[in-house]
Amino acid sequence: MRDAPATSVALVEDDRATRERLASSVRAQSSLELVAEYKNGAEALAGLASHAPDVLLVDLGLPDMSGLDLIRFAAERHPACDILVISIFGDETNVLAALEAGARGYLLKGSLQHDIALDIRDIRNGGSPLSPVIARQMLKRLRMPIHGVSGRRADGEEETALTPREGEILNAISRGFSYAETAQMLGLSVGTVHSFLKRIYRKLAVHSKTEAVFEANRLGLIR
Amino acid sequence: MTRPRTAYALMLASLVFALAPLAALAQGRVVVLEDAQFVVSDSRQPPGDDAPWRPVRLPDNWYFSHPAGVTAGWYRLEFDAGRITNHMIHLPRNSARHIRFFVNGEIVSDNSAYSNPGARSNWVPPASFHVSWMYLHFGRNVLHVRVEAVPQLRQGLTRLTIGPATLVRPRFELRHAIQVTSLLMFGAAALLAGLLATAFWLRERKDATLAWYSVTALAWTIIAMPWAHGAFAPSQLSHGALAFIGWFAYAAPLLVLCLRVAGRRWPWVEGALWLFTLLGLALSALGGEDGEGPLITTWSFVYLAALIALLVMLARSPIAGRRWVRWLFGSAIVLAAALNAHDLARWMGWIDYDSLTLAHFSIPLVLFAIGATIIDRHLRAVDAVERANVELEDRVAQKTREIEANFKRVEEAEREKVLARERKRIMADMHDGLGSTLVGLLGAVQSGKPSREEVEGRLLEALQELRLAVDALQPMDSDLGVVLGNVRHRMRAAIEDSGVKFHWEVGELPHVPYLTPQAILAVQRIILEALTNALRHSQASTVTVSARADQGWLQIQVADDGVGFRELSPSSGRGLDNLRQRAADLGGTLDIQSARNAGASVILRLPLELSGAS
Repeated sequence: MRDAPATSVALVEDDRATRERLASSVRAQSSLELVAEYKNGAEALAGLASHAPDVLLVDLGLPDMSGLDLIRFAAERHPACDILVISIFGDETNVLAALEAGARGYLLKGSLQHDIALDIRDIRNGGSPLSPVIARQMLKRLRMPIHGVSGRRADGEEETALTPREGEILNAISRGFSYAETAQMLGLSVGTVHSFLKRIYRKLAVHSKTEAVFEANRLGLIR
Repeated sequence: MTRPRTAYALMLASLVFALAPLAALAQGRVVVLEDAQFVVSDSRQPPGDDAPWRPVRLPDNWYFSHPAGVTAGWYRLEFDAGRITNHMIHLPRNSARHIRFFVNGEIVSDNSAYSNPGARSNWVPPASFHVSWMYLHFGRNVLHVRVEAVPQLRQGLTRLTIGPATLVRPRFELRHAIQVTSLLMFGAAALLAGLLATAFWLRERKDATLAWYSVTALAWTIIAMPWAHGAFAPSQLSHGALAFIGWFAYAAPLLVLCLRVAGRRWPWVEGALWLFTLLGLALSALGGEDGEGPLITTWSFVYLAALIALLVMLARSPIAGRRWVRWLFGSAIVLAAALNAHDLARWMGWIDYDSLTLAHFSIPLVLFAIGATIIDRHLRAVDAVERANVELEDRVAQKTREIEANFKRVEEAEREKVLARERKRIMADMHDGLGSTLVGLLGAVQSGKPSREEVEGRLLEALQELRLAVDALQPMDSDLGVVLGNVRHRMRAAIEDSGVKFHWEVGELPHVPYLTPQAILAVQRIILEALTNALRHSQASTVTVSARADQGWLQIQVADDGVGFRELSPSSGRGLDNLRQRAADLGGTLDIQSARNAGASVILRLPLELSGAS
């Protein structure tokens, strides 16, 4: 890790104290390099292209725009950038919405500096650990067809249904197993589990979009 | 003068008028004979001039002219042939039992059957007799008519129309059309209506009016066939009964039908009508021809009175239905009553003896009107059913909405109750956990100068408490595996930092239906406490967390290979008893197995189904 190039980190947080605390946590890690601090969504939108951070830490409650919209924008424009949501509790409601928007994990406010570094390291290695509660909810959501339309689609749209293997992985994680243990149980490498998880994240995003389109259709917003 | 053309036209017209009698003379002329001479005689041949002829005027209704009762007699009439050609004698009503014509002493015609059955019916057909030119003289001709008649039955001789056959035939045919063809037509119509009504009734047995309609229509059909009387054996019994049927077959059914259609179900009236009718039938079958006259008079009056009473009743309380249906029904009954009154008047001799019988002209209107009334009622019933259905559906929908709303309210109230209970429990937990931690910290800060580590530790503990409380509210889907996984997730950093070998053996677990936030929080606390203890104080190199289901119980074990249990961590504050109490609250048990330097294990056993306590 010492030899690897430092991971560039940017953060979006309107609360000054939190921002400074997070900034100092990042600065304290030699493996991390803080490239930008944004006070609001507008600054982040403007600065992301030039700073091109490896990791973006986003607070959901921004003064000028929804943190979810910012995540969506960043995930769309900067696919190489890993997005972590800053949350106090890491609760299911906020985190799942962020994951659907394109985030890859969350960071607990109030964590020790050491833990923040761990989380950022994990996400660079293939994804920060998914909480069992959220894994269970993802499992449920992706298994549930969208309003009677099965996840398997014939019209060339991206498939959002889980494969059995993906389901097994989410199931193990939801029962508290680590990625390494999950990989071992299923006879896979940790890397494979990570790539499965990336596909699951993508499906989650597509699923939420499809669902949004379906809902909009139903409400007559889209013709 | 100024208009010569007009003068010419007038002259031409007067010429035509002047020649017309000549043309008639050339054709011969039709005369209606009213003046005759009569002699009572049973002779087979015309009585001679010496017989006691006395003058009579035609028509001659024997009921009035021979009240004492005569069975046969001779008429002598004279007429001017005008022209020697085939002649025809026309009687508007052939109302004699037996009639025979002699022209100039030669017999020309004889309806020689036992009797003229039509003469006993109300619908007496007209008759015509051919007189060959061979029998005729120039100028004056003598016509003898031998008549056998029953005075009580208003038999006798009508006026005689005589003249060239070509001129008389149309009169006969017209009369025949009005009196006989119409009767046949209406009879056929009644037959059709009756069969239709029968077919409907067979499908709709409940509706008795359809049956009565059918009976009435078929009765009319019978009446429309007076000639059929002759087809039966010539016994007085059958003829009397047939004559009564021919007169009155439709009366009782029609009256009953009208009552039923008008919605009056009067068993006594109906019974009286039937009894009366049966009595008439019996009397006419047994009573003989002479008794038949008074019987017909009586029954006719009673039936007519009943019809008029019906009309009065209808006028007072009209039948239910559309306005035009009511009027149609009323008019039909009025017409029937009027035409029957007309025929009764003829029978009674109040109007001309030769008058037509008209009762049957009410058939089409009566059948149409009653049919329309019945159909209208059916349609209204169908409408009403449809309306009732719509109303019922509305009411069911409304009730369903009300029930749904009620259900929602109850559900809402239930949810409120559960929420209130949960809130209370969480409040209690906050008080015990977060609250006491913060109070302790406050005390430490107030008491002097706590170390930075102590403050940080206490704050982290408080945050941890808060997160536990939040986690307990997360959707765990009744899966204890998720609850345990979540504890591990929360303690990830602590586990990694401790450097112990960590074994996680949580298999697929059956659902635990009672996993409320409260229960989740309790399980989390117990496991967290056990894990913290194992990680911080046991000096263990290996920690194993396992969970499995076993005979209705879930068993969760936190085992280590450390120094064994001496006491629970003092920082956890509430101690072992508190954890035991929590396990007991869940309906489970908490066991701690420990030996000095031989490791320790905390075993939580929970029932799969909760019995009793909530």
